[in-house]
Amino acid sequence: MIESNGLVSPAYGIFWASPQKMGLLRVNPTRPSLKKRKEKQKAEVVSEGKRKMSVEDLPRKEANVLKGHDGAVLGVRFNGDGNYILSCGKDRTIRLWNPHRGIHIKTYKSHGREVRDVHVTPDNSKLCSCGGDRQVFYWDVATGRVIRKFRGHDGEVNAVKFNEYSSVVVSAGYDQSLRAWDCRSHSTEPIQIIDSFADSVMSVCLTKTEIIGGSVDGTVRTFDIRIGREVSDDFGQPVNCISMSNDGNCILAGCLDSTLRLLDRSTGELLQEYKGHSNKSYKLDCCLTNNDAHVTGGSEDGYMYFWDLVDASVVSRFRAHTSVVTSVSYHPKENCMVTASVDGSIKVWKT
Amino acid sequence: MDSDEDDFVFYGTPIQREEELTSRKKKAIAESSGQLRTLPAWKQEVRDEEGRRRFHGAFTGGYSAGYYNTVGSKEGWAPQSFTSSRKNRAEVKQQNILNFLDEDEKAELEGRFLGTSSQFDTFGFTAAEIARKQAEKEQKQRPSIIPGPAPDELILPATESVGVKLLLKMGWSRGRSIKDSHAEALYDARRQARRAFLAFSSDDPEVEVTGAEPIKDDSEHFPERHVNDDIRSSKSTPVYVLNPKQDLYGLGFDPYKHAPEFREKKRSRLSSERGSGYGKSFSSRDSLFGLKSGKSAPGFGIGALEELDAEDEDVYATGYEFEDTYVQEVEEPSKLSLENRKKKDRKDQDNLPGFTIASNSDYQMERFEAPLIPKDFVPHHAFSGPLEINQTYNGVPPPDVPAPVDSNLKLLIEGVANLVARCGKLYEDLSREKNRSNPLFNFLSGGTGHDYYARKLWEAQQKFINQPKMHLDGKVPPGVQKLTAESRGQILGERPLERSSQDPSLSVASTDIQLQYNLTDTFTNSASFLPDAEKPFKEDPAKQERFEQFLKEKYKGGLRSTSSSLAGDMTEAARARERLDFEAAADAIEKGKQGKGNKLFIPSSMDFIPGGVMQFTTGAAEPKKDLHTEDLMGRKMYPKREEFQWRPSPLLCKRFDLIDPYMGKPPPAPRIRSKIDTLIFTSDSVKSNKVEEPVAAKQDSLHVQESANQDISKSISENETEGDVEVENIERPVDLYKAIFSDDSDDEGEELNLKKTDNQEKKAEVANTALSRLIAGDFLESLGKELGLEVPPDMPYPTQKSKNAVLHKEIINENARTDILDGENNSEMSPNHGMQNDQESGPSKVDTTHGNMLVSGGVKTKGTSISDSKLSKFNRENGENDMKIKSPVTRRRDYSSSSSSEEERKRKRSRHHRHGRRDAGSDSSSDDERDEHRSRSKGRRKGSSREKSSGSRKHSKHHKHRRHESPSRSIHYSMKKDNAHSRKEKRRRG
Repeated sequence: MIESNGLVSPAYGIFWASPQKMGLLRVNPTRPSLKKRKEKQKAEVVSEGKRKMSVEDLPRKEANVLKGHDGAVLGVRFNGDGNYILSCGKDRTIRLWNPHRGIHIKTYKSHGREVRDVHVTPDNSKLCSCGGDRQVFYWDVATGRVIRKFRGHDGEVNAVKFNEYSSVVVSAGYDQSLRAWDCRSHSTEPIQIIDSFADSVMSVCLTKTEIIGGSVDGTVRTFDIRIGREVSDDFGQPVNCISMSNDGNCILAGCLDSTLRLLDRSTGELLQEYKGHSNKSYKLDCCLTNNDAHVTGGSEDGYMYFWDLVDASVVSRFRAHTSVVTSVSYHPKENCMVTASVDGSIKVWKT
Repeated sequence: MDSDEDDFVFYGTPIQREEELTSRKKKAIAESSGQLRTLPAWKQEVRDEEGRRRFHGAFTGGYSAGYYNTVGSKEGWAPQSFTSSRKNRAEVKQQNILNFLDEDEKAELEGRFLGTSSQFDTFGFTAAEIARKQAEKEQKQRPSIIPGPAPDELILPATESVGVKLLLKMGWSRGRSIKDSHAEALYDARRQARRAFLAFSSDDPEVEVTGAEPIKDDSEHFPERHVNDDIRSSKSTPVYVLNPKQDLYGLGFDPYKHAPEFREKKRSRLSSERGSGYGKSFSSRDSLFGLKSGKSAPGFGIGALEELDAEDEDVYATGYEFEDTYVQEVEEPSKLSLENRKKKDRKDQDNLPGFTIASNSDYQMERFEAPLIPKDFVPHHAFSGPLEINQTYNGVPPPDVPAPVDSNLKLLIEGVANLVARCGKLYEDLSREKNRSNPLFNFLSGGTGHDYYARKLWEAQQKFINQPKMHLDGKVPPGVQKLTAESRGQILGERPLERSSQDPSLSVASTDIQLQYNLTDTFTNSASFLPDAEKPFKEDPAKQERFEQFLKEKYKGGLRSTSSSLAGDMTEAARARERLDFEAAADAIEKGKQGKGNKLFIPSSMDFIPGGVMQFTTGAAEPKKDLHTEDLMGRKMYPKREEFQWRPSPLLCKRFDLIDPYMGKPPPAPRIRSKIDTLIFTSDSVKSNKVEEPVAAKQDSLHVQESANQDISKSISENETEGDVEVENIERPVDLYKAIFSDDSDDEGEELNLKKTDNQEKKAEVANTALSRLIAGDFLESLGKELGLEVPPDMPYPTQKSKNAVLHKEIINENARTDILDGENNSEMSPNHGMQNDQESGPSKVDTTHGNMLVSGGVKTKGTSISDSKLSKFNRENGENDMKIKSPVTRRRDYSSSSSSEEERKRKRSRHHRHGRRDAGSDSSSDDERDEHRSRSKGRRKGSSREKSSGSRKHSKHHKHRRHESPSRSIHYSMKKDNAHSRKEKRRRG
């Protein structure tokens, strides 16, 4: 049905919001209810995805181990095209690696405390990072120098992201605020402070028009710049990490009750809950695979988990690290994944 | 004098501190080492040895000056030669817009202006023109043997046309005819062939074939050719004169097409009219390009695509001078045959010469199928007629009644009737509900003029029914569903107002009865629609009645009934006060209901009250919530979705490349407020406090049902109203703010220092602030006094009526007045003395101000004691208010008094109120006060510029400071903040 509509390419993931939106499925009394159909579609779509992407294709083989960080690695991120990864950690450095060849390329040192998050622009020219020193650093990738430091957070900065045009850095801080910093001007003041959170903001995601923040107060708040609305989705559990599905329709929120929750962004509906791992005290990352067929996340016992997106069953589970898996990042195109752990290693996983 | 140092004015940039300087230097060195290698020249920044960038000015390059930070221009540094204005003084400069534009702007404008470009000077005319002018100019300057302007012949175009350039590139040398060089032989061959052709009139394909040959005998022909060149050189000069269009015919239209003889006549007449001057200008040209063979008629009659015919030939033509004889010569041999062929071609297929129609065309018209029309589609749109009126009124027309005497009423009735006819009976019901208590609308419910209304309504309906019938032939397909207001409402999830059971317009007779019934119904119900717990004025039945009346009015909206006021004997002020009272109580009741979330206890007939209110106030949020609650039933608690307003900053929108959704709307009040919310006393906070205080109080009173409490709350609200009545200025909170916070004259003194020039303005402002301060002082004072219900005996009891208070007020007023004078003095003084003056004036007035201070201090302590005991709730609000009011002041103090002892600080804090009030009085009376003052000014000097720059920053800064200074307070603060936050949310939701 879906394919005949030409809506979903077989390889790619979840479009279950779109068929209704497109008005392709008009009200037809003989059909099952909307919700049921939705489920069905979901299943279909995902089975579609599964056919292409079976469990065997999940990156479970250790391809490389990247060692270099002294102490815990707190974050690891693929760059835009997936050729490089950036990692940051307690040793106050940011490191640039080539995960496919397993080599360390560059180290960025300037932070005064641990570095909690790092993000790179789509054109790979700039970095932003943040951490315990309450500042957001704006780096030049090539020279390794800090172009600017954004000060203003009253507490540790947990997460940082560039916007689409790399003109704004949005940082999420322990001071219960999201701050947007301007990379284009020389202003030291944030261009926007969002302080409607009631607790530390742990994670931030940006779309073209929205700023999404997840906070320990249990809410995921979406700030739509285009219409000037704030949509707050309260999960009731501290939100550790949020990550967008690749189609942009869903948000995966890692909550501190050892549950990942999948939220439909348009309706605010809870689509699924993923359980099995343990995440009670650390900030762990979670993400969807690049075809949105599986959900993956680390656990505090050093295991990696793969869940099926739709039926939330644990598809795969393996020991990745000796200790807490802090961060995970999935390759934008290939079946490749990097994980970082408190044990100081970064591992590259391939099929 | 030690106070002098408070008064310093700083000009220029302060000297950098050593450490900053060195760090910057280090940075500069570090950066320059890395930068020079990596950055392109135009990105590099020039810094001096200390790492500072030099700003050259906004229009002279910003941070980079000259040519890549080197010299003035690409060529280097060029001194502008000095020209004395004495010599060429009267030079009138023609100003042009381009004189005022930057380079980039000019470049931008380039596309918009029409101008000539030498690049496209195809025929070299412009260049020739320029050259000619140049020559003329030169000619003027130097004496010449030949008088007059230089003849055209002597001047050659300065730039070549494209053709010339091309030819040059191809090896053509100037002055030769084009067919020269190696084409010479070809030419000869052709000439031969032509001769042969003329002789035998045969075609000459072999001419083309021989074209390849001539190169080898190139050298042989050289001398001959050279001679030829000299002859032909003149021929190859480009001549092309456009014939201007001088008639009013359309392009290419030839009036003489079929009568060419007239054309000649006309031309001759025209040329004779033009006279000798025109002719002369051409004569020179004629002399230049002497040979004129094969002239063809100009534009007339010859379309661009038409062939030249014999009839088009014109000997006298001045126009098209296509006199490239060479070309004609070359083509001549083939021309005849060609023409023959072409003429044939033209006959059978009408296309351009030299073009043939392609057998298959790339371009294919894309065709789209017409959309399929559903089989059951009826090609006409049926507008559903006015609602159910048709049935009700078609039968019995109401009797024609004379219009009521009151013309206003008549108009109103007619208007309403029309509207009702148009919008349906729902509107009638609605307006009836709304205007139930308005005597003007009695006609709706069977009062005076009802008959007339019925008649009018009927008439209007007839009109309306007939109208669509004329259009639609009265036929409405049965399948088409009418979209009534109700059904639309259902679709949209609107909750219709409760419709009263009776239908008064069904028949006149029944309405009367039913209306009466209805009226009694409402009135009897009205007494009981509030459960016992929700009668805030139980002990005063009259008041309660008024309150209910008020409620009804409030929720029904519409015109307020003035005559039906139940409290006719009340004074205006009392009524206003009561009104505020009611307002607060209503709010409280509503809140309580919403909080409980049960609407069950409300009789169904009055359901529209809470329901309606909720609908009106919450708007779009309501249905969502309903949905949500449904969800809650079905699923779990989470995730819970809420929506709020959020204002992105314009810059953020810009950076995200989005249009600011709030563009053009008033400045972002919510944003700023949330930032400073708890710190300063903005207009919003004033209002919100005003609203919420009584609400909370009322809630309290409602729930607890304590008479004493009620008394208090009443008094509070009365307080509020009194405050309102007395202090009209509260509506302009900026003044109030200024009055409270503008730190007396020292602040002003500083301002004066900064702004010497607008002394005059200042004076006015000072007077203004003093005035408002006076009022504000009164307000605060009265507030405090009203709060202090039990005033200690040593205090003059400050009610409005008591003389003591009046006296007291007078004293204060006097103080304030002197202060005004003082302020004025200050403003008149030279700015440097402002502060000093103030300092002096302080002690001199010690008596009065001191007394004043004592008084206010007393008031304050009183207030706090009460707050501890009874009015905990109110006081929390009020205390917050207090804090809000005070905080900047205290903070300023705290900020300054880092040196002063902890104890003193405490004392100060206890005197918050006093400070606030003492602002109304004069500043600085005691020694420690002065100490503080000094330290404060010291503190301020450091941040003076920043303080001046923006209020918000100032406050945020202070706020920060305060936070650091006392953790306990900060906790307090955060509590407050939470409170405020929740309240904010409430407001947003509610």
